[in-house]
Amino acid sequence: MRDVAVLGAGMHPWGKFADRSVTAMCRVATEAALADAGVAWRDVEAVAAASSRFSGGKGWGLNGNDVVEEMGSTGIPVYNLSAGCAAGGNAFNIGWLLVASGAHDCVLVVGGEKMPKGFIQTSGLEEDTDPEHLRQLCVGMPGPTFWAALCRRRMKDFGTSEEDLARIAVKAHRIGKHNTNARFRQEFTMEDVLGSAMVSYPLHLYEICPVSDGAAAVVICSADVARKRTTRPVWAASSSVATARFDDGLPRGLGTVVPQAGPTCHSEASLAVGKALESAAVAPTELDLVELQDNTVFYELAFPEDWGLCQPGEAERLVEKGETLPTGKLPINPSGGFLCFGEATTAMGVFQICELTWQLREQAGARQVPGAKIALAQTLGLGGNATAAVLKN
Amino acid sequence: MTTHERIPVMEGLFAETAEGPRLLGSRCQTCSTPYFPRSAVCHNPDCGESRMENADFGPRGRLWSCAIQNYPPPLPARYEEPYIPYAVGVVDLDEGLRVVARMSVDDPDSLELDAEVELTIEPIYRDDEGRDVTTWKFKPLQPGRS
Repeated sequence: MRDVAVLGAGMHPWGKFADRSVTAMCRVATEAALADAGVAWRDVEAVAAASSRFSGGKGWGLNGNDVVEEMGSTGIPVYNLSAGCAAGGNAFNIGWLLVASGAHDCVLVVGGEKMPKGFIQTSGLEEDTDPEHLRQLCVGMPGPTFWAALCRRRMKDFGTSEEDLARIAVKAHRIGKHNTNARFRQEFTMEDVLGSAMVSYPLHLYEICPVSDGAAAVVICSADVARKRTTRPVWAASSSVATARFDDGLPRGLGTVVPQAGPTCHSEASLAVGKALESAAVAPTELDLVELQDNTVFYELAFPEDWGLCQPGEAERLVEKGETLPTGKLPINPSGGFLCFGEATTAMGVFQICELTWQLREQAGARQVPGAKIALAQTLGLGGNATAAVLKN
Repeated sequence: MTTHERIPVMEGLFAETAEGPRLLGSRCQTCSTPYFPRSAVCHNPDCGESRMENADFGPRGRLWSCAIQNYPPPLPARYEEPYIPYAVGVVDLDEGLRVVARMSVDDPDSLELDAEVELTIEPIYRDDEGRDVTTWKFKPLQPGRS
């Protein structure tokens, strides 16, 4: 495998943009990434794109084709990747493989999404054989309530308090207010968070991510191309994809097996992160920062423990001591995360690569992790999909 | 008082049997993996040969976790107006099956994790033709019945 560099990163700000198409937003992100890379559209040899769930793509998830037509059809190969909310991470993985394998020297990875109002309706089907459809029809357990159930188990096992949860949202907004691409840039107090509407006990409105429109793009390239363009490349040391294990006990459909041992969480995320760390030859404790999928504050407690970044039951105290701030021992989501951006589902994997790139170049301004050298990104999606990547400078 | 006709929210998922309410699933005779809903084949990657038979599950289990649906859920979930928050649970049945379910409790805040629970079939809403649409729920076991 060849070394892969992230040469350019670009983003369309996150928000609600009623009058702008997802393709127009992807164009803004793509042009910014190309300009950042110092690469012309003609130099892009292939596109790996996240298939949007809700917008564009000719109704077939062909969002990469939309971007190519928008930028000017040059006849290049396009890969449209679908992996639920992990689609952006999946697109990055395919782009990474195209460069690492030697198939292409310069690849655009892009993800954009425009979300409908309200909480995400997880299933796209109304078929009696679709487990997610059955789950909502027969039980009525949308995403936030699923997260709340996972959270309740943690409260029982580790004594996690409502204040522990609220503190994570306060932390997110303390950092996110500095990010000009973020949608929600105001600070929250503990009282604000605990006083926001109860969505599904114990999770309040400000403790789960809303939905947003957004688009992000990165230009990735071979080492030869990178060295011609920059003296300080950011390297994508690894990129991985995984799916859930059969026996992890996470209640995804109507039923599953009671796991034999170990805590119940997303095996797909642990597998993807484990593979990314192993192939980058990085120990969990060596990470300078992590961008993880914080659909809910719960994941900022559970995931670092699942992945060996800290000890089981330790996460609450790390947050309380400020160790997950950019200036702490284990900075988590210095971008502000999904809580400050809102989830533009299929764009999020590329959004994370942008943030890691800016952090490793020390271009993150007031949210900069001092001296960041090794960073991890992680996504999660319907269907038991997960991705991870390790970037280094 | 009028008795309304009852119909299941979905056919083939649960039944009132002579022994009481049961969930209708399957079990692989080779590796003993339980499935709900019914599965035509075994999905255990470590199982050598899929040999499926129908199996009923319940009524007893332990509440692994629960949550309260504080806001009205989006379709296809249905509820009676005005909306009253309900509890959902994740229940580990004695047969090694973990299922999601509505909880049958007057006060959703009263649920305790690891409590013994029991399967019941109850209405969740009344449809346009006046029929009570039922689903499976779990209720905390009454003291003295364990």
